[in-house]
Amino acid sequence: MRRKLAVVPERCSGCRICEITCAVHRQGVNNPKKACIRVTTVYPHPVVRMPVVCSQCGDPKCAAACPTNAIFKKDGIVQINKDDCVACHACVDACPFGAMYVHSEIDVPLKCDLCEGDPQCAKMCPTEAIVFLPEHVFGQAHRLNNVLSYAHMKEIEYMEKGKRKRLRYADHGPSEDLER
Amino acid sequence: MIKKGGYFGRLLHVDMTDGGSRVEEYDESLAEQFIGGRGFAVKLIWDNLQKKGRFDPLGGDNLLVVAPGPLTGVYMPSSGKNSFAAISPATGIYGDSSMGGSFGVELRQAGYDGLAVHGRAEKLSYLFIDDDRVKVIECPELAGKGNLETEGRIRDQIGDHELRVASIGPAGENLVRFACITSEWSRNSGRCGIGTVMGSKNLKAIVVRGNRDLPVCDLKRVEDISNQAYKELAGHDMMSFWQRQGLMSVIDYANELGILPTYNFHDVHFEKAEQINGYTMEAGYKIGNTACFACPMCCGNINLVKEGKYAGTVTEGPEYETAAMLGSNLGISDFGAILRGNHLCDDLGLDTISTGNLIGAIIEGYEKDLLTIDDLDGKPIVWGDDERVLELVTQIAHCESVGATIALGAKGVLEKWPQLKPLVQHVKGLEQSAYDCRGASSMALAYGTSDIGAHHTRAWTVGKELEMGADWNIEQKVDLVIYHQHIRSLFDMFGVCRLPWIELGFHEDFYAELYSAVVGSDYGLDELLKKSEHIYNMTRAIGVKLGSNKSQDYPPERAFDVPIHSGPLAGKVCDRQEYEQMLNLYYTKRGWDPQGTPVITGELNF
Repeated sequence: MRRKLAVVPERCSGCRICEITCAVHRQGVNNPKKACIRVTTVYPHPVVRMPVVCSQCGDPKCAAACPTNAIFKKDGIVQINKDDCVACHACVDACPFGAMYVHSEIDVPLKCDLCEGDPQCAKMCPTEAIVFLPEHVFGQAHRLNNVLSYAHMKEIEYMEKGKRKRLRYADHGPSEDLER
Repeated sequence: MIKKGGYFGRLLHVDMTDGGSRVEEYDESLAEQFIGGRGFAVKLIWDNLQKKGRFDPLGGDNLLVVAPGPLTGVYMPSSGKNSFAAISPATGIYGDSSMGGSFGVELRQAGYDGLAVHGRAEKLSYLFIDDDRVKVIECPELAGKGNLETEGRIRDQIGDHELRVASIGPAGENLVRFACITSEWSRNSGRCGIGTVMGSKNLKAIVVRGNRDLPVCDLKRVEDISNQAYKELAGHDMMSFWQRQGLMSVIDYANELGILPTYNFHDVHFEKAEQINGYTMEAGYKIGNTACFACPMCCGNINLVKEGKYAGTVTEGPEYETAAMLGSNLGISDFGAILRGNHLCDDLGLDTISTGNLIGAIIEGYEKDLLTIDDLDGKPIVWGDDERVLELVTQIAHCESVGATIALGAKGVLEKWPQLKPLVQHVKGLEQSAYDCRGASSMALAYGTSDIGAHHTRAWTVGKELEMGADWNIEQKVDLVIYHQHIRSLFDMFGVCRLPWIELGFHEDFYAELYSAVVGSDYGLDELLKKSEHIYNMTRAIGVKLGSNKSQDYPPERAFDVPIHSGPLAGKVCDRQEYEQMLNLYYTKRGWDPQGTPVITGELNF
């Protein structure tokens, strides 16, 4: 079962713990600018705080753009072969999410490799804005959300044979929805 | 690098007059004696006074110091703090105000332990610190622009969305005495008119881009200590509540305890508090969280007004102080109006505490016939009149109509309208923040003896006294005030936030241990507190040199004269005799003379 990092921007507070954790854990330096993840913020219209990190794409555009074929995918992780990399940063430009980073002191672009299967950013995120999920779970939250917004769940409590029980049931939406 | 970590050993000096800059490489004794952050700021300001003598705080001689601490940006909870300090145009003595967010982290990453801004630019300019490149850039096009637009336009101009910008709005440019410095939409250095100093230097913004590694001696040890700390915080009972409401939870707490400023500090219990509390915010307004650098507590709330006359207003905030000062203190119970006020103050660059405090005094003055309708430009103002309050906020920032007088701060307002003396709640010219002190005399002492004026972050003892100090003697109260004044200074010197300590009970020793790991030699808490005490003596000495004395070490008159008339503390009022005893004991314990002059005052010879 493969797992991927997923980001929930609505939960992100912009605290940058993911950045500093990544830098300290992976690069061994106290420098959030050397992290493989960065929180991008936009305000006040619209308000978005969103950690941007590699999606380990199935068909990585970064690899396709690399002139020396230094980027390859192994075990579901897109990786850079440091020996082949010429630091042209074509990959950084090619990534549709901007999820590769450049720092003046490091030649090879900074890119997430999922910390050997235990991503520290997801572990340290205080609001669960970054989660590490099995691939097949992706999209489930949206599906569930959709279903729940269609049928407003209600809950009642009742007694049965002297025991308190709860029942959840789906109520149809507000009356204006029914009229349609 | 001096020491094994924690410091770059570099201070950046910029002279706005000619746009020149230089890097001062200081030696280890400065770090040893002053730690950093507020400590460095005080030292630089002290030296500047020594050199220049007494000067006009709004002139080019005033020095603006921007000082993150040796722990700012370090991998540890809540390390995003940064101090701004100068001689305050509001009080005329030393003043500082700290800011959270990421600005201080970025400044450190540019390789500086502090920034000192000298002189005054001819034309409105911003300062761009791009690692080693430092430039003063004229920006007439930004004149009169709000903080939000300023930040956006500078980012566009330079072509980098990830820059950190600390700017002033029109209030700072117009020298409103309680203008703030704002960064990242809503991180403010609000108090002491620190933004006014920026305005007086024609400095619209400080823009920073930094890429350096922060010097940390034993990163492995820091990582271990901090991982444990993050784990502890995550498991804390109050953590999720804190993330949900942040400081907004204090509205209910203060209202129940009887310390919520209501109707210009006349009452301490607001009958409509439930309309402006954390639950109201959660249920009807909150759309997201914000946090300062590396902080899991995310006490910032992003709110949107969904309906009513302020629909569409989106702001980061309010936190407790703003909700109380623009809410209950003005009799305003429309949470949407408070959000609108918060947004306006952030954008115009006004301190919400002083703004709410002074408008409260104006409303009460009019109510008690101490101000006439003509004083108010023919427009009356009453409690809860949110539209008129918001109009005043804008007028203050632009120094228009009656706003031009309010903009002069507590001292200026009293000069023009001396009859308001019993109504304007301030100490040394700094408007009182949102905790009533009549029920807890230690808090009165905290306001009275605060080195910058009536601000709660120097010593917040009111909670502890009301919760557990019912039979405390005066010595216990004095001890607590002094302890707070030292430990809280220490947080500002380190460049970290005090909230994990005061709100979630994080142990002080954690900070000493972390500092030791960062600098690479061991320090105990007591030793660090000694250094902090020295800083406190220095700021007091500066105050005494510039005209502060015992007569100003008292809380606002209302604390003695008007008993609380409702709530659990009804009938309570500070006792003058008890206060006098506490004050004298306070001086004695500090080793100051009976007039409150510290020994080192003589060293400042101008």
